Amino acid sequence: MIPLSFYLGLSALLFSIGLFGVMTHKSGIRLIMCIELMLNSANLNLVAFSSYTDTLNGQVFALFSIALAAAEAAIGFAIFMAIYRMHDKINLDELNLLRW
Amino acid sequence: MDELMYLAPEIVVVATGLAILLAGIFLSPQSKNLLGYLATLGVLAALFLTVKSFELLTMQGFMVGYSIFSDTLNIDALSQFFKLIFLVVALIVAIAAIKYNENSDHTEEFYALMLFATFGMMIVASANDLIVLFCAFELASLATYGLAAFEKQNPRSLEAGMKYFVFGSVSAALMLFGMTFVYGATGTTSIPQIAANSGLLTSSPIGLVAVVLLIAGFGFKMALVPFHMWAPDTYQGAPSVVSSLLAAGSKKMGFVAAFRIFIVALAALQPDWQFAFTILAVVTMTFGNLVAVSQTSVKRMLAYSSLAQAGYIAMAFAVMSPLALTGGIMYALAHAFMKAGAFIAAGVVVWMVTSEKRGNLKIPDHLDNFKGLGKRMPLTAFSMMIFVFALAGIPPTAGFMAKFVLFSSTIAAGMTWLAIIAILNSALSLFYYARLVRYMYVLPPEGGKVSEPFPYAIALLVAVAGVLAMGIWPEPFVELATNAAMVLF
Repeated sequence: MIPLSFYLGLSALLFSIGLFGVMTHKSGIRLIMCIELMLNSANLNLVAFSSYTDTLNGQVFALFSIALAAAEAAIGFAIFMAIYRMHDKINLDELNLLRW
Repeated sequence: MDELMYLAPEIVVVATGLAILLAGIFLSPQSKNLLGYLATLGVLAALFLTVKSFELLTMQGFMVGYSIFSDTLNIDALSQFFKLIFLVVALIVAIAAIKYNENSDHTEEFYALMLFATFGMMIVASANDLIVLFCAFELASLATYGLAAFEKQNPRSLEAGMKYFVFGSVSAALMLFGMTFVYGATGTTSIPQIAANSGLLTSSPIGLVAVVLLIAGFGFKMALVPFHMWAPDTYQGAPSVVSSLLAAGSKKMGFVAAFRIFIVALAALQPDWQFAFTILAVVTMTFGNLVAVSQTSVKRMLAYSSLAQAGYIAMAFAVMSPLALTGGIMYALAHAFMKAGAFIAAGVVVWMVTSEKRGNLKIPDHLDNFKGLGKRMPLTAFSMMIFVFALAGIPPTAGFMAKFVLFSSTIAAGMTWLAIIAILNSALSLFYYARLVRYMYVLPPEGGKVSEPFPYAIALLVAVAGVLAMGIWPEPFVELATNAAMVLF
């Protein structure tokens, strides 16, 4: 059986890649992909823990979180679509009306 | 069936939201104005039911509370107190939004999203299980992302919504990742069972990882300082009624979730998170007040002052005595009245400037537009003055009573240095609040008298009544907050 730490290492790696991407990318689409990566690494964690602690809560939690991630992506794309209609691009660096 | 009865306020709120969403399809834009009154009625009914539920709790003794739906939801003094906060904010926002949505084609969307967000916040207050807590948290967040970007033709509102969405979803991911470790170490998602198994969390480094991730996740919602970047932009750019919902309601949701997770579930790791919250509280209040001094946009200034207020509430985590939690919970209610009212008052000025097309149109909430407001809109100016003085903590207002309980508990717990920092911060905050009052009452007006739209005036009066009631007659509020704090011990 694959040790639990392998799953945790993989999910931590995926999470870090997602977090790095959110901080560095300028395109809204890539940003949403990176956020999905972070949420899915948490799902991987949940399922791995669920299998190793012999409880089902984790798998139920993962199902809920998959549905919520989809809803989140839908709202995100809706906001980016509205921005695209106004600016003709989704370059987040150029959205800087609000600053001190 | 019996269990559903305890959820009556939530059911009323969500049923009103669904009814409005459906009715909106069949109504013409003119008759959609009715939907605002329907939403207000629904929130009032839910508020009444919540107040009634306190009687049920008193019969059983406040300490007990009820666990319903296989222990996934808790109905106790803490949850009902925070539901009261969320419903009061929803009431103020619903009334003010009657005018904001006048003759709009999207009224039903606004009210449905607002009521669903309120429903999510209320469930978070009751949540007794990580799954329920996360789902409700996301429900409230997703609805408010849509609300922040509600003005689709306004680039500022879109930018506010975009920033809120990006930071909000990153914080949701951090929070979920932290929760997975709590689940992995203890093997359960139920908060009381996590507390019972917390020995497993302290014995491995996983517990510390979970605390760091959860503080970051909730810190975004509470807008504590290293995680605050979205807050000023979102509060400034979003429509004023939505800023009011975010600052007064959504922020308190972060606090009640943190109360449940840290104080109840992760009690065994108290030294770790207590230290972190002490630093966060000091940094947050100092940074918020220092930056607020140099702001020229009033909504942005209120946003930074809202950061400072979150710093004061976070002191409850740093001190962790029953009295400090009472103070923190009371401050949450006081802040809800003050901040909701202040953002609505700023919204009235934005409405005046955009409908008159005079003054600083580029930044409609600019300080210059508040010149001589005391003569132009006496009611708005007077309410704004009450709110900012309450935020600074001047008696006899809600802000003074809440600060008094919170700061005296800090001194009683032997953390005098923290109390001194907080009091110095309050003194500093008076500078920029007094400047706003000077603009409103001392500088000459640049235009004639304007009469406030009726809904705005009612919303302001509700908030003023709350602020003054808590300041002049604080006993019932202190008692309710004490009972709520006892749940956590």
